[in-house]
Amino acid sequence: MMWQLANWFRRKKLESDLDRELRYHLDRRIIDLERSGLPTEEARRQALLELGGVTQVQEEVRDIWLSRWLRDFVYDLRFSARSFFRSPSFTATTVLSLALGIGATTALYSLIDQIVLRALPVDHPERLVLIDWIGFQYAETFGTSNVMSYPICQDLQQKKDFFEGVLCRAATTISASTGGEPKLTAAELVSGNYFSLLGVRPALGRLLTTDDDQTPGSSPVVVLSYDFWKNQLGGAADIVGRKVLVNQYPMTVVGVAAPAFHGIDVGEVPSLWIPAVMSAQAIPGFTTMLDRRTRWMQILGRLKQNVSLQQAQTRLQPWFKSMLDEDMRRTNVSRASAELRRQFLASTLELTPAPQGHSVLRQGLSRPLWVLFVATAVLLALACLNVAGLFLARGSARHREISTRLALGASRGRIGRQLLADSVLLAFAGGLLGVVMSPIAVRALIAFLPHNSAANDLHANVDTHLLVFASLVSLATGFLAGSAPAFQAGRRSLDSSLRERGGTSSGGLLLRRGIVTAQIAFTLILVVAAGLFIRTLSGLLAKGPGFDTSSLISFGIKPALTGYSDDEANQLIRRISEEIRTSGSTRASAIARVQLLLGGAWNNSLTIQDRQQFVTDREVQLNAVTPGFFATLGARIVAGRDFNEHDALNAIAVGQSLPVSQSGRRVVIVNDAFVKRYFGGRNPLGALVAMGSGPGTKPDTEIIGVVENISYRSVREQWEQAYYPIGTEFSGSNFYVRFRGTPESAFRSIRAILRKADPALPITYFRTLDEQIDRSLNTEHMLAALSSSFGTLALLLSLVGLYGVMSFVVTQRTREIGIRLALGAMRWSAIWLVLRDALSMILSGIAIGLPFVWALGRLVESQLYDVKPSDPAVIAITTLILCSAGLGAALIPAHRASSINPTDALRVE
Amino acid sequence: MPSSKFPIPQGTLDMLILQIVSLEPVHGYGIAQRLDQISRSVVHANQGSLYPALHRLELKGWLRAEWKESETGREAKFYSLTASGRKQLAAEKQSWARLAGAVQLIFNEGNR
Repeated sequence: MMWQLANWFRRKKLESDLDRELRYHLDRRIIDLERSGLPTEEARRQALLELGGVTQVQEEVRDIWLSRWLRDFVYDLRFSARSFFRSPSFTATTVLSLALGIGATTALYSLIDQIVLRALPVDHPERLVLIDWIGFQYAETFGTSNVMSYPICQDLQQKKDFFEGVLCRAATTISASTGGEPKLTAAELVSGNYFSLLGVRPALGRLLTTDDDQTPGSSPVVVLSYDFWKNQLGGAADIVGRKVLVNQYPMTVVGVAAPAFHGIDVGEVPSLWIPAVMSAQAIPGFTTMLDRRTRWMQILGRLKQNVSLQQAQTRLQPWFKSMLDEDMRRTNVSRASAELRRQFLASTLELTPAPQGHSVLRQGLSRPLWVLFVATAVLLALACLNVAGLFLARGSARHREISTRLALGASRGRIGRQLLADSVLLAFAGGLLGVVMSPIAVRALIAFLPHNSAANDLHANVDTHLLVFASLVSLATGFLAGSAPAFQAGRRSLDSSLRERGGTSSGGLLLRRGIVTAQIAFTLILVVAAGLFIRTLSGLLAKGPGFDTSSLISFGIKPALTGYSDDEANQLIRRISEEIRTSGSTRASAIARVQLLLGGAWNNSLTIQDRQQFVTDREVQLNAVTPGFFATLGARIVAGRDFNEHDALNAIAVGQSLPVSQSGRRVVIVNDAFVKRYFGGRNPLGALVAMGSGPGTKPDTEIIGVVENISYRSVREQWEQAYYPIGTEFSGSNFYVRFRGTPESAFRSIRAILRKADPALPITYFRTLDEQIDRSLNTEHMLAALSSSFGTLALLLSLVGLYGVMSFVVTQRTREIGIRLALGAMRWSAIWLVLRDALSMILSGIAIGLPFVWALGRLVESQLYDVKPSDPAVIAITTLILCSAGLGAALIPAHRASSINPTDALRVE
Repeated sequence: MPSSKFPIPQGTLDMLILQIVSLEPVHGYGIAQRLDQISRSVVHANQGSLYPALHRLELKGWLRAEWKESETGREAKFYSLTASGRKQLAAEKQSWARLAGAVQLIFNEGNR
């Protein structure tokens, strides 16, 4: 096939060669025949007869060079290309609209492919499954989603009937030093069989083995990622055996992983891998690796060849149930309340296919990405319709040519194929342009995604996946856009079209009206979506986090990562806190244990002693803060008081290390939502609570204040919160500073304070709260920005379509309108004649689009805030926009209709 | 044209061409002559189908062609066998021998 196509380009040479070859044959044969006694003329006749006709042989050989079908199609394409060069504006319009549609779809597909669809570059990714605990684990949680304890992973590794192997991993951030300054670096804590199970090979040295994963603290070894080795260590050949300081703890590099392997999370690429048994060194203060009530690792298994996911899941349940029973005995689950025990025992084990690994980014983004993908598909369909409309218009202009060809004996199929060749050629030109543009679009899209200290594995390259996708889309687009005109050409009666005079045919007007109506329907969908997402974003921005974010900076430090003991860290933080408080550019400052607006929270159930003792029906969001935290944020204390220095003075670590005040009392501040849910709005001051939910839990912590609701995990969410005074357990701290002057000067003075305290102190983040809000709303920003640009494009495309059809209508009815005007009709009635026509198309388009809006609403519902997919205001405004813009587009041809000179009009034809 | 020669069996023309070309590089007319001689005028190969066959074999990569001076001093297109052509010829010879053997066997069965 490829060779045949290549033959097309050297057909001149082939022809002349064949000519020479055949002439040689004939000349030799004639000479031979002459020698045998035949006269020259007779010899020539005989030679030609034997060969069976030169033209016939040539034809047959040409069919071998390039099969007949292909040859005809190439002729068609060449004809199409020539006619496109003759009408550049038509060509530019169609190619550009297709390029926009195909480019946008391809860009979205690229992201979906990378984030949602693509399997890991490991052996047999299709047999990887994620193992997750569904139900209640009764455990302290570190990490984000699908986490379980390390001992459960070890249990599962024994289930050799179902799995070839089971691995566990946890992403974390460490400070790594390879000689110079320590740098915060993404790392992955993994079980020893991680690499062998995934089938990853080393680029250098060796990878981790099960020997590296035996007893806690015993294996200070690391494997580097190829990129880290190349970029941070200059690809040093002698790297194996060298030491890396992980949180100031020396570990030996044993190898470098293969270049293509970037871990199992596309959103968080680790720079080095550390055995799970070194978790105490990699996560300062983490000592509960072997605790069954600490969940922090994702567990993935590789199913055995002949075991299906369903079989494994079903047959693992009995073991899981007995493990739950055993857990009841061997851990403190038995102390939980009856309800929580019931929830615990009702838990099940769930296996889900995980050929793409595990990614938090994927969990958060797949829905928004699919929503946008559907939007681009609608946009592409709209572009198709636009091109189809333009083709029909062009088809009516050249239909005399087509009729003539039909009259000369061309088959209708042949003509249809010619028209399809037209649109396929255009679609591929558009597709090519779209592919060229798509990396720019993908880069813009990636910029919208959340980014943190770990790099993500997303790129804007055009790869084979993408090329295949884009060419399939182009082909489909070409066929869709070309089928209407081809159909139209095949249907028209030859007889009547030849009899018509040039330029006045009906030109498939009905079909063109249908296309414009469909365009309006599609546009309605996209504009409504844009309206919904803009309302969501503006609603969230207007709501805000419940406090004033201007002139507010937050930053985090983790002294433990550079080897500070708890005491030293505590002293350091107090020193920094004091310096910042007394700095000239600071108006107020405070510290919180957990960072706000990052998506995470510290959760636990509370036991409340009001008139009776009860446990909160869902987990409360907890934080620990210094006195003045609420004042710094500008959140009002609506009842009671803030913490003071005495509340946290006698910090005695009890249970969750909650501080006790001088008088021996523990205190807590709750928020409005908490009061509303658990006290029905009554005054909660003086009521007692306790953290946890076991029957032995004694409420001994007094509610001393109520603060207004502020956002914790995200701006979107409003939840019950409880705040404790911050204790002495400083593994890390989040500072909130309200500053005077510009953010730049505040950044400078704070950085100076931090450098003075310790130049090597790891700063985990440093940004204004405005920026933090933007980050936490980046999905909403992305949806609003993209959907409104799609909506605008859609509107533009359908207005062009509408304008085209209405112009055509006016041209066609010139005579009729002229007669009306001659008979005394008013100018405005001519305008109305055209506008009414346009309005009927717009309204029927809206009527067709509305059910689709309703149906697609379910897809976007979860992405919306404070607005329903069928929001009447959004739909009303959209309708208004469509009608006014549409009428505006129709007004130009309408005006032309009204200014028709009756005598001129009657003279036409 | 009534002829005592029977027409060349379907598909064997390619094999015969490969066989002829395998002996030495040869031009189209030479192949036509050789076909006539080798088959001792028993088999009739239509010369019209010779050139399409040559071009088909060239496209398949079994034959390679180059312009060279012929025995008459004029330039002619000479065909020679490529490595994959040689392999193909061997395969065809073998399957032909198997087929012929099988047919012979059936005939022998019938005669017994």
